[in-house]
Amino acid sequence: MSPATTAVLYAPGTNCHEETAAAIELAGGRVEVVLLHDLLDGTQRLNEFQAAVIPGGFSFGDHLGAGRVFATLLVARLCEQLQEFLDTGKPLLGICNGFQVLSEAGVLPGRSPGRPSMALLENESAHFEDRKVRLSVTAPETLWTRGLSGQILEIPSAHGEGRAVFQGMDSPNGPRVALRYADAAGNPASGFPDNPNGSKDAIAGMTDETGRVLGLMPHPERASFPANYSQDGLKIFKNLVDWLGG
Amino acid sequence: MPIHAIYTKYMDDAEARNWLAFFRRRGHSALHDLKIERVFWLEGDVRVEKLLPLFINPVHQSAHSRSMFDPACGPILEIAYRPAVTDPETPSILAGARALGENSLAFARLSRRFQFVGIGQAEAQRIAERFLFNKVVERLRGPDEALHSLIPSGTPDPVATISLKGLSDGELIQLSRRLSWYAPLSQLKVIQAHEFERGRPYTDAEVEILVQTWSDHCYHTTWKSLGLLKRLSQATAQINHPLVVSSFKDNAGGMKFYEDWVITIKGETHNFPSSIAPFGGVATKHGGVIRDTLGFGKGAYPIGGTTIMGTMDPCTKDSALPSGTLHPELIVSESIRATAYYVNPMGIPMMHALYRRHPGYAKCLALGHSVGLIPEKFALKDPVRKGDLCLLLGGETGRDGIHGATASSAGMSGETVAKESAAVQIGHPVTERRFATAIPVLRDAGCIRSITDLGAGGISCGAGEMGAETGVALDLDQVPLKDQTLTAWEILLSESQERMMLAVPPEKLAEAKAILDRYEVGHAVIGEFTDTNRLQAIWRGQKVVDLEMHFLWDACPLDPIPIREPQRRETALEVEPPQTPDEWSRAIHGVIGHYHCCDQSPAGTRFDTTVQARTAVSAYGGRTHRMPTHLYVSAPLRGRNYGAITTIAFNPLYGEIDPVAMARLMVIEAVTKAVAAGADYREMVLCDNFYTPRARPEVAWNLSHMVEAIADLSIELGIPFISGKDSSSGTYEADGKSIDVPYTLVVSAMCRVPDVRRTVTKEFKAAGNQIFLVGPIDSRALGGSIYADSCSQSGGRLFMPGDVRSLRRRWDALLAMYARGIYVSASAIAEGGAFLRLFEASFGSGLGVEINLSGLVETEGDERSGEGGTRLDGILFGEFVGSVLIELPPGAAAASDLAEVPHHQIGEVTSTGALTIRNDHQTLWQGAVADLIEVWSKPFKEMLG
Repeated sequence: MSPATTAVLYAPGTNCHEETAAAIELAGGRVEVVLLHDLLDGTQRLNEFQAAVIPGGFSFGDHLGAGRVFATLLVARLCEQLQEFLDTGKPLLGICNGFQVLSEAGVLPGRSPGRPSMALLENESAHFEDRKVRLSVTAPETLWTRGLSGQILEIPSAHGEGRAVFQGMDSPNGPRVALRYADAAGNPASGFPDNPNGSKDAIAGMTDETGRVLGLMPHPERASFPANYSQDGLKIFKNLVDWLGG
Repeated sequence: MPIHAIYTKYMDDAEARNWLAFFRRRGHSALHDLKIERVFWLEGDVRVEKLLPLFINPVHQSAHSRSMFDPACGPILEIAYRPAVTDPETPSILAGARALGENSLAFARLSRRFQFVGIGQAEAQRIAERFLFNKVVERLRGPDEALHSLIPSGTPDPVATISLKGLSDGELIQLSRRLSWYAPLSQLKVIQAHEFERGRPYTDAEVEILVQTWSDHCYHTTWKSLGLLKRLSQATAQINHPLVVSSFKDNAGGMKFYEDWVITIKGETHNFPSSIAPFGGVATKHGGVIRDTLGFGKGAYPIGGTTIMGTMDPCTKDSALPSGTLHPELIVSESIRATAYYVNPMGIPMMHALYRRHPGYAKCLALGHSVGLIPEKFALKDPVRKGDLCLLLGGETGRDGIHGATASSAGMSGETVAKESAAVQIGHPVTERRFATAIPVLRDAGCIRSITDLGAGGISCGAGEMGAETGVALDLDQVPLKDQTLTAWEILLSESQERMMLAVPPEKLAEAKAILDRYEVGHAVIGEFTDTNRLQAIWRGQKVVDLEMHFLWDACPLDPIPIREPQRRETALEVEPPQTPDEWSRAIHGVIGHYHCCDQSPAGTRFDTTVQARTAVSAYGGRTHRMPTHLYVSAPLRGRNYGAITTIAFNPLYGEIDPVAMARLMVIEAVTKAVAAGADYREMVLCDNFYTPRARPEVAWNLSHMVEAIADLSIELGIPFISGKDSSSGTYEADGKSIDVPYTLVVSAMCRVPDVRRTVTKEFKAAGNQIFLVGPIDSRALGGSIYADSCSQSGGRLFMPGDVRSLRRRWDALLAMYARGIYVSASAIAEGGAFLRLFEASFGSGLGVEINLSGLVETEGDERSGEGGTRLDGILFGEFVGSVLIELPPGAAAASDLAEVPHHQIGEVTSTGALTIRNDHQTLWQGAVADLIEVWSKPFKEMLG
């Protein structure tokens, strides 16, 4: 494995792996779609990669809860690899279902695999919402949002469960909100549909205390290609590629 | 082994809240609370507490060793899968438990307990049976039921012998009805005679295979008998379009795209199941048409879909419904839930979601399209060879969907609704999603000689078709079952969803299996292709099927269908043109608040439109992403700007006035919508979906002439149809009456464009720009218009869009202007007339428009005698299909392009956010776009609650 390759993880039911990989490539990165199946049977190891993205979809059909089965397999079967990946400070991004996996696994917000302290609940509207949303980037920046604070990103959002709730998270130096849904004036959006799921504090993306792990409900890969209505999402992948050294 | 139960609940249960609101809307107003527990049943020596991470997230869920419901609060119902049936979640639970180190978990099931507060047991049971479970696979578990084991078990029925020898015509018909064959007498007599020839009685499996293969649904007997089935494919052959790669032969049609890629299209209806069980019917409508894409060539990848529903008016009073039908509001809302349930997990962008109504849709229209992408070198199947293996992949085979094909072809009535609920399939998108990922991998590895989806008729149909030229021998004991009680014929005919059949070269089998294992797709070799020209199957040591292929495929008799030209009755429009601003307001509100024109985004925003990152223009656009674009533009090759544009034309109101004219209008509307956006009609293909009443002589005349009309039109335009589907059973029998669906033809156009970024969309671009109406105007042709319908009238004659030469001239003029970037916004006029488009373009831009109706020259109407002069309302609301509104910046050089084309400058874009309608110096009406948005947004939002 050549250096600085990003793994895009695929589990049965994942459906955004292709475009996520293509967006990272467009941003100049090297990327490989890695099957969870191959990690579980030892054919591949997470640590062969310098960064990882868990893309969107409905892994395992959302059985038992969005992201639950994927998270259980990750924590129970790949705990050491995951811990080593986190301990070495490698970037990890969960998009939509990937964010649900990271929160179910306890990786976000508290970097504590096996001990979840947040959940992404069903949208306030009680159904799937397909919306083109605005995201405001909060300071301080993470590796993912470098150079973007204060900007508004136009990125599509499409999910049924994205309303973030937390259990006991008030440490000022701890995990924090990295991106918020914004209204037309750029302020945090409390109202529907600018805030498509009813997340408190307009939370669209969370990062851990290191800023290396990011969970994001909207889909940056869908606003990456010249044909898309916006290419703001590509900025996030370019930041990853820059961080990895081009 | 011990059985444990874990009861889990949400601290804040959105699903329960959702159902509560839904049931209350459906008239269960006494129900004032609803609670849900999810119960995990676990068999084996397991440490339950070790499994909790799989069952709950403690942040918002809790787990208990006994139920938290207080029985005194209201009736409790537990819904579980039948003992013989595997739960869809079981594999996920077992995999999770193994991961957590609990290897002794032998089996697991998941049931749901509902507690209904405020209503009695009987009402709760009615709700549950109607909405919460499917009797074919699920049941209500008794409160004190003892559990011995969770592992599915059961015994199938033995193979039965069926002899038709000596049965009278009456007895044959009786037998056919009793066994749900719904076969016409002529077929039964051929089958009877063949029994004599071959000298032995049939097995149940053999007769079942024959009658379903020969059903109208599978064999297209109506179209074949009328000589229509080949008509469109012959027209396409005659056009000989250089971009057509595959038409009418495969599971979809294929058109050359750019850079050695092919794009495909297919539309498929699923009307009968969606009418009797909308959730299951609509979910599997999507599953089925997506599999048609996966089954194109050697496996295409789906990159877009549609959902198109035609129902009775959702506002119909219960008492006015034909007996035995479900309420149309329920059909619509359940269909929306089903589309979201299926298509979102498939990860396929929704291109178009359309909802239309007509009192004739007692048997509803449920149509879905699927567009696909495949390398050109894989676009054609290879013929299967002797020794190729018949590989079944995807889900296990169950009891769902048995008799789907025959029941769909039968007349629908209150009786069939009750009897054939088992004909509705159950969809599990995650299973289909798995092989949607794996099939391109198998294809690229050379593992696929041929592939087809299993839909109507199940394994027997898939194997029978694939092996039609060779022969196939099946071993039914190899078919993985999710219901242990299935007997041989049920295994063969089951329409369980999410299954594909492949012909795999023997030397590629090991590689194919390894790929499927990696992608976690279920698979089994269930037979082998032979050179016997026979369809053969064994089960438990018995030979259960041995039929000659040529009898199966060639012996079906076609009953002649008499044809008679119908009398046409045209009812003249009796609506006085509005005189006062108030009257204009009423007319305008009637049009923009009409079910067909109103804001349908409360449904459309529940479907993913951007997944795959190929979307360039989605169904909703404009400044706030809420304006209907009537376009979907995909950029299939990521990183390239080549585009595939699809448009849809569907109008049930025109069909009742003149089905043949309607058919032509649908073609012209679909093409014009794309041309307005900048698509060249010379690089375009079409897909047709017919839905017509059962063939009586007048129906047969209309249907034949509709097909002839669009075949001829496609030849004249040089735009070929490349796939299509017919359904000729659109009649509902109730209360001694027949209710016919309106003549329905949905046309979709698909074209390629070199650069999606140059797509011209509808919203206005700048104040001061001029609005032109390009094409003919006929203010008295209000037949089938939304305006007439909003006044409860059919409205007289249909608009005539002009001959092919004038249409071509118009499209050529538009394309010439498009090439030079002359017009900055455009929209094709259709339902709701020019007014609806002006409103949408204003709303999508935040701008406004001022229209002047004076001095317009009518191309058609002026020449007609006795109709009086121009109707101002007819200019605004007339549906001039084939005419286009374009926006030109001041001074744009369009004069020479438009010299030969009728056109009028009708107004100017303003910055006011208002719509103003003038006739010369007189202001007829003025209103704020914001006020109209309110009227336009209301109907769907209210319906969905």
